[in-house]
Amino acid sequence: MSSIKMFEKPLGMRDTFPQIFEKVEAVRQTGRSFLRSRGYEFIKTPTVEYFDTVGKASAISDAHLFKLVDSQGNTLVLRPDMTTPIARIATSKLLKEMIPLRLAYFANVFRAQETEGGRPAEFDQMGIELIGDHSVFADAEVIVTAMELLQQFGLKDFKVTIGHAGVLNCILQDYTESIEQEDTLRTLLVQRNYVGFEEAVASFDLPKTKSDALLQFIDEAMNLKEIQDIEKYVRKNDALEYMQRLAKLLEVADLADYVAFDFTLSSHMSYYTGMLFEVFASGSGFPLGNGGRYDGLLNVFGSKVGATGFSIRVDRLLEILAGQSVMKEEAVVVLFEEADFESALEKVQVLRAVGKQTTLQMRSSLVDEAAFIAQFSEVVVIGQEEVCCE
Amino acid sequence: MNELTIAMPKGRIFEEAYQMLIEAGFNLPEEVEMSRKLIIDIPEEKIRFILAKPMDVPVYVEHGVADIGIAGKDVLLEQQREVHELLDLKISTCYIASAGLPNTTMNEIAPRIATKYPNIAMKYYKGIGEQVEIIELNGSIELAPMIGLADRIVDIVSTGRTLKENGLEEYEFITDVSSRLIANPVSYRMKGDRIIDLVKRLKQCVN
Repeated sequence: MSSIKMFEKPLGMRDTFPQIFEKVEAVRQTGRSFLRSRGYEFIKTPTVEYFDTVGKASAISDAHLFKLVDSQGNTLVLRPDMTTPIARIATSKLLKEMIPLRLAYFANVFRAQETEGGRPAEFDQMGIELIGDHSVFADAEVIVTAMELLQQFGLKDFKVTIGHAGVLNCILQDYTESIEQEDTLRTLLVQRNYVGFEEAVASFDLPKTKSDALLQFIDEAMNLKEIQDIEKYVRKNDALEYMQRLAKLLEVADLADYVAFDFTLSSHMSYYTGMLFEVFASGSGFPLGNGGRYDGLLNVFGSKVGATGFSIRVDRLLEILAGQSVMKEEAVVVLFEEADFESALEKVQVLRAVGKQTTLQMRSSLVDEAAFIAQFSEVVVIGQEEVCCE
Repeated sequence: MNELTIAMPKGRIFEEAYQMLIEAGFNLPEEVEMSRKLIIDIPEEKIRFILAKPMDVPVYVEHGVADIGIAGKDVLLEQQREVHELLDLKISTCYIASAGLPNTTMNEIAPRIATKYPNIAMKYYKGIGEQVEIIELNGSIELAPMIGLADRIVDIVSTGRTLKENGLEEYEFITDVSSRLIANPVSYRMKGDRIIDLVKRLKQCVN
């Protein structure tokens, strides 16, 4: 390996320059006031957690975890997501206080990257967790909140794709003949390898009715407008009924246009036990966020209450929002000569009192005055006669 | 109707796939002037073709600059990118196999494998419990055993002629390869109607 240059950062780490920082901050403020208005309270958790608790319970695979060792020899991880730490606190402390619990976060998470050096290994996530409510209304609330949050940012061209682990499991169980076959098909669906799915079905040597049903299912279930279309494949079960009720609720909320159902949706995260969804928007080639019901994760931490939530990636949201114009803030600079410090101070106080963002700068320290003042919308020079320009 | 961007590998696969699209009823000009163009626009169908190196097609699709693309299964297996694999076009079929000089066994002390597909090769030999050293080459893989760089090569075989001409013998079959239609996960949702329509129509044309 070549030696590290002085300006280098670890692989996948990024500096946030002032302009981007302000954009992130604007997103954070919009998101925060929106989520708070819906009764979600913000929470912060440690950057570093134990590998044995949060690291193992997290859905992020081992290879993507940043690991460290503390002075007692315990393995630590940089938090790879926020859902797991929140599940930890919720079960250990907060749940004893009130149920259900509505929590929100805006936090950086860490995932080591291997594919390409430039991909971010640390990025911000914004999301909510609704813990302690088993009902379909909780899932509907989470999906609606996700969609309205995007609308709050002015997004119009987005889609939420919803599936259900229970419906998929039922279909895979009914039409295969062993658990191995079921797992093979599920893995292929996680990889979104539909060609592989069809090949696998052919190789299983299933009775024709079963293999035909699976192939038809994969053809149809990927993009359903109406939930009824799936009914012929599934025997009546709770999961399907649940989805029918969820679809009704989303219709009532008048957001059905943004929704598609995909019952092939499957997650490598085994703790997604029920409804799960993905969020997509034009403007980025990568999914914007995801969510779902993860009762299984709370079980890991020893609690039986239900939990559901979502998160979106702030870096991708910014990429999508980049097309939209951002209001440039008014900024004033007050330049002063050595002898006029006192009157300069008075001047900035007046400007700051009326809420103007005001920079105070000693004039003779400037190397290139023209370049420096170009950053500001207004320049005030204290000293000779006062000049003002737009 | 949204514009649909399709990343295609240059050369024979492009021509075969292009013919399939015509067969599927897409209104495309019979002859396209390929020459050195990298982008071909078909305004009648609102389709734009991007002509890329076969290895790069999944990259364009993963990043969403192409909505869909046509990529060899070999490239997909090697790169493991986040794309949807929608349809086996059953064109340019071949397979990946290991090959070497006739009647040889692998070196016991330092078994070496030369290949253009380090990930596929590594996964295969790991899977059968062989500890090997993988040497990545970019072309003329057949040279490696002939000049003693490696005991085996892992490469695609279509007719087996190249192997024979270089005095090599095929040893183990690894996996089948053909061209696949792949899609970007976001495009698949945002332009779902167009992509699903295209898949349905192409499916009719796959023999």
